[in-house]
Amino acid sequence: MSSSSKRQSIAPSSGPKPPVNFSSSLTIPKDASLTGHHSITILAETVIHPRARIDSAQGSVLIGRRCVIQERAQLGAAPGDRTSLSSTGGITLGDYVIVEAGATIEPGGTEVSEGTFVQVGSTIGRGAKVGKNCTITPKSVVRPGEVLPDNTVVFSNGQRRTDRRRVIDVRKVALLKQINVTRKMIRSDPDKFR
Amino acid sequence: MAFTAPYTYIQCPCSSDPPELDPGEQAAQDAIESDDEYTFDPRAPRANYSLYPLEYLLYCEECQEIRCPKCVNEEIVTYFCPNCLFEVPSSNLRSEGNRCTRSCFQCPVCTSPVQAGEIPNEPDPTLLGADNNPAAHVSYALFCQYCNWSSSEIGIEFDRPSGIPAQLAKVKNGGEPKITAKDLKERRKENPDEPPIADNLVDTELQFANLKSFFQNQLSDSTGVLGNLSLADGAGFSSPAALSRIMTLYTAGRGQPGRQRGPPDTMREAHSTDDGLRIAKLDESAEVKKLFRGGWDETVSREQTLAQLEPARFQDELRPTQCTLRTKRSKRCAVCRHIISKPENKVASTRFKIRLVAKNYIPSISIRPLKPTASGILVGLRPNVQIEKPLKPLQPCQYIVTFTNPLFESIKVTLATPNSTPGRFSSRVTLLCPEFEVDANTDMWDDALRDDGDLKRRDDSNGQAEAGKIYERGRNWVSVVLEVIPPSLRVENLDLTAKPGEAVDKSPLKEDEDILEIPMFVRIEWEAEAQHDITGTAGRDKDAREKRELAYWCVLGVGQISHE
Repeated sequence: MSSSSKRQSIAPSSGPKPPVNFSSSLTIPKDASLTGHHSITILAETVIHPRARIDSAQGSVLIGRRCVIQERAQLGAAPGDRTSLSSTGGITLGDYVIVEAGATIEPGGTEVSEGTFVQVGSTIGRGAKVGKNCTITPKSVVRPGEVLPDNTVVFSNGQRRTDRRRVIDVRKVALLKQINVTRKMIRSDPDKFR
Repeated sequence: MAFTAPYTYIQCPCSSDPPELDPGEQAAQDAIESDDEYTFDPRAPRANYSLYPLEYLLYCEECQEIRCPKCVNEEIVTYFCPNCLFEVPSSNLRSEGNRCTRSCFQCPVCTSPVQAGEIPNEPDPTLLGADNNPAAHVSYALFCQYCNWSSSEIGIEFDRPSGIPAQLAKVKNGGEPKITAKDLKERRKENPDEPPIADNLVDTELQFANLKSFFQNQLSDSTGVLGNLSLADGAGFSSPAALSRIMTLYTAGRGQPGRQRGPPDTMREAHSTDDGLRIAKLDESAEVKKLFRGGWDETVSREQTLAQLEPARFQDELRPTQCTLRTKRSKRCAVCRHIISKPENKVASTRFKIRLVAKNYIPSISIRPLKPTASGILVGLRPNVQIEKPLKPLQPCQYIVTFTNPLFESIKVTLATPNSTPGRFSSRVTLLCPEFEVDANTDMWDDALRDDGDLKRRDDSNGQAEAGKIYERGRNWVSVVLEVIPPSLRVENLDLTAKPGEAVDKSPLKEDEDILEIPMFVRIEWEAEAQHDITGTAGRDKDAREKRELAYWCVLGVGQISHE
């Protein structure tokens, strides 16, 4: 068989460690993967799940307070994607952002604002600006450079609508409960990345 | 459906029965039928309706034929709600319709199920002591978990989280109470001089109720007239009216609509709102204004309107609808009426009592290139499919066709393909081994325990594409090699291949003409235990074996030809 069919390792490659700036109340397990050479800043009470991947090769990554980054979520360029190694800009996540399993947020000055819920397997393209309290439903795609106003729901093959449920506070309370449970279950090891 | 080569489709034999044609066409059809050289053309317009993947086909054991979804009759076993999985008795269907009458609603925006939930109270900072009052009024709404729609968007909120259908039936969008026919009757009783309500307040349900009562009144009036006309009414027996009445007495039972039994010839026209008359609303300035203000986002899509009970134009006119019921069906052979598929009655069960799928009776055929151009897929990236490169014109290309035998008897397979595929751009096809035997689908262990004598028999397979020899052989499968020379897709090259004196169609390449599909005739023969249902003849010799055969056309979708 050709070499291309060889199974690729998903373990973090032994590259240079990115400069990190961690809050003391952060939860990050040792099998999360942090790569790149720009800075990665993660603020208070955020929970990173095991096998989440954060890559700062193309720009610095800022993750706000009380965020949840679930497993196999990809912040930054994918491991195979080295097409544009130039510093095109990083990623900024506001407070209370949930990035669910397998979701991808591409770099390039991408912004995800407070309270947004990026659900399973969805993709936020390069340089997109997602407003506050948006919902990106599973497997949805936000195109590169797109600007989503606050409270937008992206669903059903790219349809858009505005969320008028007035449940922002309820969502935040639920997220807080989720964080409180998961941080007890995930053994944090921030020193590994320093 | 996206094009994913390679594939195998099987033609159900039911489609080769001659359809009812005009006499002229019939003659042409007969000419084809009588011709032994008749080749099935997968590009013919009719072929689209007779080709199925193996998984879609059933098999009738009585007729010993393949059965496709077109040649089975379906019968409904149970009706159930897809949301609450409640089985609805068919007697309820007649009275309650085909929707779930429990609290199963679907979102009018995205059709996913909605749930009743509490509306979070927004704490009012100006109101002091709001926190001290836990018994504050809590209202409920329907929430969609997928697209975040909530029924408070259309102004509908509920007092209780249960009994949603009854509560919803009482409110209009916006929260105003609905006017029902019953309300109207009571109001009329209290205040007989009140004029009928304005047309814009009448919704479809009320209009239907009005219409129904109007026509019922008319019908009861007319039957009343008939009842009064008794025989002793002085007209005498010889009068034409009496005669015709006697005639209807005799003829009515035979399905002939008696003139007087049916609705009366003349009915009064409906001429007020109470009679169910609603005048078309031609002044649409309000809608136009709304459209200007709200724009495209305020309007509904076609799918959304179709799911509604009343026609809606704007998002705020949408209402949650109750889930439509689904059915479980059994399938019968259309020829011998035997059941060939029957699911279990229980809604939650996915098992079948009877399921005769073709996959257990006819060999499955798969095709793959001998030298694949597409590389394998990384484990992490599955189930992505690597697409093969398009075939190069005029270059021979070899494929491995594998037959897997599901039967417990070994089968003899005979294949036939036309030398050149039908169509304007025809490929040259050669089957290197058109006749072979596939071993029985025995136990895995039998294969391992088999002695060397049996192994010698496998010498006919050599792992090389050689004429007359099998490519590879396994426990219950055999692979043979198929060689294809795809044509050049240039229209100007058509002259070279055309027979002299034949008109050449030089129109540009049509849709799907670049896809290479090979019709293949498969004939399988095997010996099975004789069926014992005909007692007497077969009962004498229990070990009687009988020869069976099955023949059908199938289509091998090989791939796309490159446009070089």
